[in-house]
Amino acid sequence: MADEQGPPPAVFSTEGTRSLPQHPALLGGRCEACDYVFFPMQTYGYEKCGSQSLEAKALSGRGRLIASAEVFISANKSFPAPYTIGSIVTDDGAVVRAILDVPPGAQLTPGAVMITGLVPETRPDRGAHDLRFLPATTKEG
Amino acid sequence: MACLISDLRPVYVVGIGFHPYQYASETTYVTLGLQAVREALADGGVAWDAVESTYVAQSRLGMAIGRPMLRHLGALGKPLAHVENASASGSTAFRHACIEVASGISDVALAVGVDKVPTERLPRARVGLPNLADDAIVPFTHFALLTDEYAHKHGVDPEDIALVAVKNHGNGAKNPNAQRQKARTLEEVLGGKRISGTLTSLQCTPVGEGAAAAIVASEAAIKRLGIDAGRAVRVSASAAGSEKAGNSLNPDTALSAETMSRAMREAQIEPSALDVVEVHDAFTVEELLYAEATGICAPGRFIPMLKEGAWQIGGQCAISPSGGLIAMGHPIGPTGVGQIGEIVRQLRGEAGDRQHKGAKIGLAHMVGVGAVCYVHLLSK
Repeated sequence: MADEQGPPPAVFSTEGTRSLPQHPALLGGRCEACDYVFFPMQTYGYEKCGSQSLEAKALSGRGRLIASAEVFISANKSFPAPYTIGSIVTDDGAVVRAILDVPPGAQLTPGAVMITGLVPETRPDRGAHDLRFLPATTKEG
Repeated sequence: MACLISDLRPVYVVGIGFHPYQYASETTYVTLGLQAVREALADGGVAWDAVESTYVAQSRLGMAIGRPMLRHLGALGKPLAHVENASASGSTAFRHACIEVASGISDVALAVGVDKVPTERLPRARVGLPNLADDAIVPFTHFALLTDEYAHKHGVDPEDIALVAVKNHGNGAKNPNAQRQKARTLEEVLGGKRISGTLTSLQCTPVGEGAAAAIVASEAAIKRLGIDAGRAVRVSASAAGSEKAGNSLNPDTALSAETMSRAMREAQIEPSALDVVEVHDAFTVEELLYAEATGICAPGRFIPMLKEGAWQIGGQCAISPSGGLIAMGHPIGPTGVGQIGEIVRQLRGEAGDRQHKGAKIGLAHMVGVGAVCYVHLLSK
């Protein structure tokens, strides 16, 4: 966790999980007390049971789209609109919201399989790469 | 064992007042707040020295803003507390004023909300947890995502969801305290500036400035002070809650449904008894989600019933008769108190052009970032 000012801790790995090695993994966690999976990893305590017995767990970079919305006004000067945000439930059961790598005006259907991919950094302090979700090909899905 | 407000002394709203909600101006918060309080005192026929305790709600004005405002009414040394609870700040102040009177600690208490648009971005303490896109998602995108989810789940067109804004702008056009007082056509709503997803600017609340005040009193105070009991409105339930684990996508709706249910159990009423409802409709989809959460219609039925006129003033239940957050506005600190003011007006039969005939029971609902939820039921 970030108690000090500076770049935020990593939330993804450029390496994938064993089941999906070609796509970046999300750096989440698992509660050892109640076995729930969450994202991102933290050590403050798990919100379902209050346990502090939490372990890091790499989460699959694949999931299904719940909803999406194109953004036409950006609150972040370093990341101008338009861009598209998606809500995704991963194969591990974590729910995340992420920037999607889709063209402006893309028509996305809830339930579509989405996978992670890397793009060159587009926002300050995010490292050399940033993570996006994009629609999976038939083979990846 | 814990008890409910309704288990304690009856509490009544006896005075309401406003400074109209408006776009950012040079008017000081002191001027805004004093106008609302003086109007509430005059409305209730209550002298300032009869008010025994005050709760001041704000979210963007900084520390300890109450006394510099209230001293101009006469600095009498009475208890004063400040409340910040995001969008629910005003509702929280109102609940605690009610608790104070219900418990017998005070006979008369004031809740006043006041806020202005900050001149610079307010700092927020770091939680210390990173995320994938926290700097790219602001509230309107959160609600654009919920709009997309609702539309797909219930087979609703975005144009239909925009009808909520048409209704609320129409109501706001009849409300002299509303920030937006212009009726809008569906074409105007849909043709406005695109914000996120299918949301356009006229489907989003304007966050401005203003003030609202409500004075609550016990039966003993009403008799002792000679307040007109015929205009007093009973606070029949007050319920509050905060987000539970396990619903990170749409915590507000689940929390709202649970809190509304508790309030209705406390007041011993069914959803079908509701005559007027004010919800946290900062974005059009919120009115659908929270109205359905009350139980007045089944999930997915709000839009078909809206098209039939069920939620218009004069319909089955008037929803957002003030214009709601979309038209009346959302200055944050005052908003929850202002909802109480609108419902009191409706239940007294004093709402003029926007009166819902025969209104007897009203529900006020606010959520705040976090999420927290406050629900009040008023009856006449």
